[in-house]
This record gives sequence, C-alpha cells and structure tokens, in this order.
Amino acid sequence: MIRTTRRAVLATGLAAPFVARAQAQPRAVVLGGSVPMTGAAAETGLNVLHGYQAAVKRIDEMGGIQAGGQTYRFELRLVDDASDPSRAVTLIQRQVDERVPLFLGSFGSNIVLPTCAITERARRPMVQAGGGSDQIFTQGRRYVFGMFPRATRQFETVTEFFKSLDPRPRTFAVLYTNDPFSRFSAEGAKVSLTNAGFQVSDPVQLPATVTDVTTVLARIRETQPDVLVATTHDEHSLLITRQMISSNTNVKLAYFGLGPQTAAYRQAVGRYADSILTASYWASNAPFQCPYFGSAKGFEEYYNRNFQRPLAYHMASGAACILAFAEALKAAGSPDPAKLRDALAAMDFPCFYGRIKFTPQGDGDPILMGTLVAQVQNGKLEIVGPPAAATARPIWPAPPWNERG
Amino acid sequence: MIPLLQTLLDGLVLGGVYAFAAVGFSLIFGVLGVVNLTHGVFVVLGAYAALLLHEVVGLDPILGLPLVMAALFALGYLYQRTLIAAAVERASLVASLLVTFGVALMARNLLQIVASPDVRSIATAYSFAGLSLGPLRIDLVRAAGLLTSLVLLFGLALLLNRTAFGRAIRATAQQPVGAALSGVNVRHVHGLTFGLGGAFAGASGAVIGMMLPFTPSSEAAWTLNAFVVVTLGGVGSPQGALLGGLLLGVIATLTAQYVGPAFQNAAMFLVLVLMLLLRPQGLLGHAFAASR
Repeated sequence: MIRTTRRAVLATGLAAPFVARAQAQPRAVVLGGSVPMTGAAAETGLNVLHGYQAAVKRIDEMGGIQAGGQTYRFELRLVDDASDPSRAVTLIQRQVDERVPLFLGSFGSNIVLPTCAITERARRPMVQAGGGSDQIFTQGRRYVFGMFPRATRQFETVTEFFKSLDPRPRTFAVLYTNDPFSRFSAEGAKVSLTNAGFQVSDPVQLPATVTDVTTVLARIRETQPDVLVATTHDEHSLLITRQMISSNTNVKLAYFGLGPQTAAYRQAVGRYADSILTASYWASNAPFQCPYFGSAKGFEEYYNRNFQRPLAYHMASGAACILAFAEALKAAGSPDPAKLRDALAAMDFPCFYGRIKFTPQGDGDPILMGTLVAQVQNGKLEIVGPPAAATARPIWPAPPWNERG
Repeated sequence: MIPLLQTLLDGLVLGGVYAFAAVGFSLIFGVLGVVNLTHGVFVVLGAYAALLLHEVVGLDPILGLPLVMAALFALGYLYQRTLIAAAVERASLVASLLVTFGVALMARNLLQIVASPDVRSIATAYSFAGLSLGPLRIDLVRAAGLLTSLVLLFGLALLLNRTAFGRAIRATAQQPVGAALSGVNVRHVHGLTFGLGGAFAGASGAVIGMMLPFTPSSEAAWTLNAFVVVTLGGVGSPQGALLGGLLLGVIATLTAQYVGPAFQNAAMFLVLVLMLLLRPQGLLGHAFAASR
C-alpha cells in the first residue's frame, strides 16, 4: 500500500520545477579512458586528448546528440596513464568497475593492447586513435575499433605512391625500433613493397630507446638503397634524420612513419626537412564534408579558434573517435554498450576526417581510412599521394642534404 | 679494417659523452654515498637551460656551459643541504634513495608542465656538419661534445687532485670524522660536492641536447646510464667514469655493427652483470674505499 503524506506532496510540489528543468538537460554519457598526459608518449597523447576535447566541445555547442527521443551529451573522464601500460591497466580496470559504459583509447599500441583486453572482457566499446598494432585487431576482439588500418596494412597506399613515381625506385632499406607498432609497421612495409616487386633488404631492428645510429647509417652508405623507410617514433626519427644529415648519408627519398608531422621536428631539422616523406591520416585541405565541423578546413579553423596547441593529424583522429561514438549513439538510440558496438561495426559515416568505416576486425578500412603520403615542401606538409587527395606533386628524387633549402 | 676503425671511433665519441653524463653521479655516490636518482633530472635540466639560452639569447650551448653549470651547482647545493641532508641525518642513506626517487618523479612532471612533453633538440650552426678524417667520418657536434667532455673531465680531475677544495672533498670522502676534526666543514663540503655533481650533470645535458632529442622523460635513461657507467668503471673518480663510459660506448657500437643494433642494450647489461659477478667494485675500484 502506498501512503501519501502531506510532507511527500509538499516535497513533490517544491521539486517539480527542478525536475522539469532536469528533463530538459541533455543526459551525460561518460567516455572513460586513459591518455599519456605525461611520460614518453605525452606529446602525441596530448594531441589526441585535444582532439577528444574539441569534438566534445563542438557537440555541446550544437546542443547535444538526439537519440531515441532523448538528448545526450558526452562527458570525458580521461585520466593520465603517464605512458605506462601497467598504470593504464589499473586505471581502466577501475573505470570498468565503476561501470563507465564507453571508452576512448590511449596513445601507443603498448598501452592500447592491454587496456582494450580489459574493456573487451567487460563488453564495453572502445574507439581509439592510438594503437595500430595488428595484435589489437587480430585476436578476435569485437568491441575495439581503430581510426587507422592495422599496422601491416598502413603501408599499402605508400607502396602505391612509390609505384607511381617515375622513374620507379628499385631498392629499399627498412629501419624500425623494438616496439609493437614500429615492428608490425616495418613487417607490413616489407611485405607490401616486396609484393609490389621492389627489392627490400632485411629490416634493421634498433633498440626501443635509441641513442646512436652511426653504424646503421654506415651500412646504408655502403648499400645505397634508393629509399629509406623508417617506421620509427618521433624522437627516433629526429635522431636518425640529424645523424643522416651530419654523416652525409644520402638516399633518393627518406620516409619516416612518425616525426615530420610535428612542427617540432620540422623546426629542429629546418631546411633539411624538405623532401622528407611521412604518413598522414588527415589533411586540412582534404575535400571532406562534415555535419559537425562543415569540412576538414572547418575543423582546422574551429580547432585553432579554441585551442593553443599546434594542430596535427592526431587531433583530427581523436575528434573522429568522438564523432564515431556520436553517430553510433544516434543509430543505436541509446547508450547501451552492446547496441553501440553493433552500430559502430555497421558504421559508414562521412565526416571531416574522411569516411569512417571499420573492417570486421575493427581497424580502419585500409582504402577509406588509409595512409595519406605527405612530403615536407618549403617547411609545410603537402599531400603527394594518393592522387585523389594530392595537394602537390612529389619532389623526386630528393636533392642531397647539402643542396637543400 | 675501415668499418672497424669507424665503429671504434663512433664508440669512443659516444663513450666520452656517456662518461661526461655519469661523472657527477659517480662523484656524489663516491663522496656522500648517496645514490642520486635525480641525476637524470639534472642532465635534462641542463639540456633545457642550454636550449633556453640558445633560443632566447642566441648563446651557443658550449659557450653557455658556465651559466648552466653555475645554475645547477646552486640548485644541487641547496637540494643537498635541505632535502638530502635531512633525509640522511634523520633516517639513513637508504632514505636518500627514496627522497631522490620521489623528487625525480615530481621534477619530471613539473618539467612537463613548464616545458611541455614535446620532443626538443638544440640546433646550432654546426649541428648538421661533419668532419672527415681520411676515410673516417665524425659529426662535428659529436666531436665538439667529446672535446668538451674530455676538457671538463680533465678539469675535474685537476680540481680533485691539485686544489685545497679537492683535498677537502677527498678527505671528507675518506674519513668524514677525521676531516671534521681537522677543521673541514663536512656538511658544507657535502653540499659543494653535490653541487659539483649537479653542475657536471647539467653541463653534460647541454652537450647531449645538441646531439640527441630530449623530453622531460629522458631523465630516467640518463640515471640508468650513469649507474651502468659507474658500475663498470668504478666509483668516485673522473678516471673511473671515463673508463666506464668509453667501455660502454665501444661495446654499444661494436655490438650494433657486428651482432645487430637490436642487441646493444643486451650486450651492455650482459657486461654489467659479468662485472658485478667478477669485479663488483668496477675496473678502477672505489676511489676512496681503501681509506675508509
């Protein structure tokens, strides 16, 4: 039996205006996860974090997301994993225990791999833009989605670019460091280049932390490959570039997977950076339209208006993760993790980042979300491949170091 | 023959810098008995200070060394006289291990807030130049770094062996009680020694900043590097640090050339383990242990 007291009636009457107001407020959906805000991966970690924040801010400004007759907004609950996988595992396990429904990824396959194992076990979707290692996508996980193709597939468009050069380069040397992303990327590069008929010497493995590459460069001077492909991280790419210049180690083209995208790298190397190739997953002058930012250019303008940190493609990848969750929420009609997972798996959504579509294993579609080949030209990054997205013709072959600038 | 000579040359250049980066750690460990886990922070602070001087004033990192060394000397002195001395006097030498570990963590994060975690490097006018010695090549910046290391290590050896201040440091390291009875202000000498260690770490950071990219989190690698160098060469003397550093550099490059670059760290730590098993006091031993 329900007893109605005078006190209950009074309380209900007094609370009524607040209840009505609360119903008008968007419902918050928590996006959990960790990001390297400090430690070795903090530079790119902070880039991705800024991308997450930009998209959440934009969605708030647009009044939230309409799904199933309800308005939702995202609330970021991201913690600093200090670039430490074991710390990230503890933090993510705690968020899973606290029933956080959806997760964003950290930066670095060494962190994404153990953390996505936890979210997968708890059946909570994770969308991430920081882990490309094949292991993330080839161990049967269903709840993990990546904004890039897996590492071994990332090189396909780069190989197509090399095939398009006239005259075609013949010989390639591959360098990588002993970490999951770099290793898988190098393996992918070797397989892709070999299948295309190029001569590729055995990839040279460097330690995870590199302080000197003089002996490796001496070997490159001896063998004189046409192209050097280094699937290394930012600071190692910078070290290799500097030592190549000072030891006058010339190749017709040098490709660094990570590094030249950052303003810090281009500033440190100066005029010598010209003609260096790198990977990019997004360009502000790409012809992509978007219901959230208008276009790729629109994202650049919005970001620069609201944030101080220099824009790199990591910000765009981070923001695209949030848009993927937003569109999945619309399609699913509720933030139920299982329904959202199915919506993500079926997603085919054009936005400022390109067309977001995942493979059945969860990584980015290798054609739609594949690597753009960028080249530093006059200190700026220009897209030189694939042809549909190109903003400039490639400089090929690159001039020797002492003739640059 | 040429590849072997080139490899040895590269190893000696790298080793000279390793030695420079470790000598401050060796001095503090030898004289105070403190394992300074903030050593790498001083190295990285030196790199950032040199970068600041280079970007703001346009001062070459090598010309800016006196300023960097003076600043880090002062910081080292204050750090020892306050936190380290308090930890050692109230608890034990082991407490200093925890204090320096904690301070290193805080300093790294503070640096990331102040200087950002972005990868930085110092690009001087000669950063991209190289020297040819017949068929052998050497980066000019590495050659300058090696020369600076050797000059400053030699200067430190002179300071320790030929000056009254050096005698006070050696006396304090050998017999603190005896030194105090002879009128040496042991606490002050401990502070000055720590300052000297910090100054040398900072100077090495300025040189390293010209050669290698760095971030606040690079500090851990330089503390570990110093530990390995000191274990190989011996504690408390520039000679021990130089020997350990050169040995480490040559092992690294020979391994990279003839075994594979991936095995550099494995070879270095294999030698470290062998040294701990066969000659735990290092090649030159503890500079002051015999008198203790």
